[in-house]
Amino acid sequence: MIIEVKDLVVEYKGVRVVDHVSFSVEEGEIFGMIGPNGAGKTTTIECIEGIRENYSGSIRVLGLNPQVDRKKLYNLIGVQLQETSYQDKIKVWEICKMFSSFYANPLPYESLLNDFGIYDKVNSYVSKLSGGQRQKLAIILALIANPKIIFLDELSTGLDPQARRSMWDLIKGLQKDGKTIYMTTHFMDEAEYLCNRIAIMDKGKVVAVDTVENLIKRFGLEETVVLKSDELNLDEIERIEGVTSLERKGSEVYVKGRETNLVHNILSYLSNNQIGYSDLKVIQPALEDVFLKITGKKSEGM
Amino acid sequence: MKMLYNITYIEFKLFLRTFVNVFFSLVFPSMMLLIFGGIYGNEPSDMFQGHGTIDISVPAYIGMIIAVTGIMSLPLSVSGYRERKILKRLKATPINPFSILLSQILINFIMTVLGMVILFFVGKIVFELNFMGDFYDVSVAFILSTLSIFSIGFVIASFSPNMKFASAIANIVYFPMLFLTGATLPLEIMPELMVNISKVIPLTYAVELLKGVWIGKDLSEFSKEILVLCGILAVCTTISVKKFKWE
Repeated sequence: MIIEVKDLVVEYKGVRVVDHVSFSVEEGEIFGMIGPNGAGKTTTIECIEGIRENYSGSIRVLGLNPQVDRKKLYNLIGVQLQETSYQDKIKVWEICKMFSSFYANPLPYESLLNDFGIYDKVNSYVSKLSGGQRQKLAIILALIANPKIIFLDELSTGLDPQARRSMWDLIKGLQKDGKTIYMTTHFMDEAEYLCNRIAIMDKGKVVAVDTVENLIKRFGLEETVVLKSDELNLDEIERIEGVTSLERKGSEVYVKGRETNLVHNILSYLSNNQIGYSDLKVIQPALEDVFLKITGKKSEGM
Repeated sequence: MKMLYNITYIEFKLFLRTFVNVFFSLVFPSMMLLIFGGIYGNEPSDMFQGHGTIDISVPAYIGMIIAVTGIMSLPLSVSGYRERKILKRLKATPINPFSILLSQILINFIMTVLGMVILFFVGKIVFELNFMGDFYDVSVAFILSTLSIFSIGFVIASFSPNMKFASAIANIVYFPMLFLTGATLPLEIMPELMVNISKVIPLTYAVELLKGVWIGKDLSEFSKEILVLCGILAVCTTISVKKFKWE
């Protein structure tokens, strides 16, 4: 395990913002933390990154204590902070060059700019970049160290859908290059698409850590089969194995159930009884539903 | 060292790209000298015990430059960097966080020296400025004055939650310094009340010290000024170290 957090507690002005949090991150995975605003995600990531000092509990990143081995650690991790801005009137190449000078073995920033498709901005002022370009720059600055772990805090907040998509491809690419990624987000689709494992944080506590699939299973969420048909006998449908509830909304019937073979069972019933139907679709439970169930809140990203 | 050099080099370029900084530290003092020199010339003046107006104004204006870089530029950039989380971002790199602050001090120090050099040459070329002091004494007086005023700037940066606040405080501190210490208008022309007010403003001591060593007096004649400036430096540095926040 590449990051290990044990019993992390952070108090801020008498309020416990992180409350006995323990979890670990495996090498090579994309680990995501989701949770409502104020859940303690940013506080937690900042403790791990070594930029927040007043906490109790133990944190090990690549076997190092962020409080003690900061210089060693910062040569091994790359950090993107939520809402950083840069100096007024600094140019892209200047900030890249400045960051390069901080590291023992920096990657050439020209090729990073190239990889991220913003090499043409090398002589531009950072303040003139678009939101997407600025976030790309933030990742480039995190990558200059050639880090083993990259921390991304709400990277895609404020980006348009297209920029968000291209950011996702970049992050997947980083994972292919063997990097471990720790990210926080409030976009459920983003977490679902990118993350191998997800931690859900609420009111300072980590309520669950698992793969999306397991989270959905664990919280007993149901699939829904929707279909249109005029000849349905609802009572018979209700007796199909796995069906838990049933609802008619206009011409559509919503069948909910938890059984793995739910779709198959419904389809065999329909064909066995030669019942005509149309527009059949299956709605899988999503991370959003888990989030809603745990936190009682709709995610802000939706 | 390489890190410090690089960050200082870049920050220096950024300083030069900011018009207000450049104008007030490099251009404005020389402009003032041209205006007042144009009016009074550099003939020996009774008001300044037989010294020329320019010969007395140049060291006083050095005090003005120190006030601009130390009270305006330094705290504004440091508190701005904190507010915009630039300090926090830089802290998440292997650079020693104090190097970041040191680079700000260095740049403002260099700009002060640069402003002083320009002022000197304008005075020399246009008004035949005389320098009667000892280079070593003037250097000591200049460095002590600069560090002392900069430390006040750091206290402002330490207590300011954001740039707006820092700017308000800096202005409140800066303008009395500019006009009530002899840095722009000589104390010699001021009524007694103003002279008394000037005694509680730190820059007055810097201006007195700089003027004195410039016209050739010995450092030892200014033990009061040196003591006050050292005291300010010690107190303000202690406060800054205790109260400074990175975010």
